[in-house]
Amino acid sequence: MASLTDISLVAQVAISGNKRAFDELVRRYQSPVRRFFLHQTMGDSQLSDDLAQDTFIKAYTNIASFRGLASFQTWIMRIAYNVFYDYCRKMKNEKLEMSNENVEMKNDSAAHSSFLPSHSSLKMDIYAALALLKPDERTCITLQLIDGYDIAAIAKITQMKEGTVKSHLSRGKEKLATYLRKNGYDK
Amino acid sequence: MDMINDNDNERLLQQFFSEAASQQIEDNGFTERVMQQLPAAQYSWANRFSRLWTIFCVSVFVVLFIVFRGWELLAVQFEVMLRTIAAQSFSINLTMLFSVVFGLLLVATGEVIASESTRKLF
Repeated sequence: MASLTDISLVAQVAISGNKRAFDELVRRYQSPVRRFFLHQTMGDSQLSDDLAQDTFIKAYTNIASFRGLASFQTWIMRIAYNVFYDYCRKMKNEKLEMSNENVEMKNDSAAHSSFLPSHSSLKMDIYAALALLKPDERTCITLQLIDGYDIAAIAKITQMKEGTVKSHLSRGKEKLATYLRKNGYDK
Repeated sequence: MDMINDNDNERLLQQFFSEAASQQIEDNGFTERVMQQLPAAQYSWANRFSRLWTIFCVSVFVVLFIVFRGWELLAVQFEVMLRTIAAQSFSINLTMLFSVVFGLLLVATGEVIASESTRKLF
């Protein structure tokens, strides 16, 4: 099962509802999906896992719509982005963009997260830095600098135009670089 | 000057995010939890619509085939085809061609509608 390609695993799930094949897909992609949510929520591991779970359930129920035009990883990241976007919309009234106090609280819980093996202070700095960005900037920045996607792939995942992605990246990088210099990271 | 600044920023950010970029999250029972939450196999309304549309198209085709005595048309067409091969000329029964194109269009329309409605989910 481990040696099968993503496409053949997807075909097994779509045609015969093979749950073992889907189990293998979840194992392969749980790390990038949960990491994506972890950075969007600035370290809230419980929320990240809930959103990641929603993502995989949505992927399972709609697997027949995977056409293979992009890689399975890009497809699942697109679902993850949509799940997060829906979550943000739902939370809009409850003020999603956290205040600085909330970020500190989140960072405290992040420091105790089972995901973090070491260097928690650096993690906290990352979340504090990401908190300076608008949600779209944060998404583009983390997809490029942490998950390693190029601009075309980010545009596919977020359904934004490449020019918009470039603008978000440019503004986000400027803000982050200023923050890092202020905090002595360039020394 | 701006170029140098951009490169400096890029290098600084790459360095800052390098640890996060190499982070792998351990499964720790996540996959099992997802598998337990999976719903029973179900078909979306788009899939159901697609199946119903296919059944409808097949039914219409069967009714038309009987009403217009499709077997006679087929027999004629077959005969014409054999004669055409024998005479090495080309001829088309327009009624037959129209029936086939109409049938194909009906099925294709259903497939396109079902495909588009599924795509909208994402």
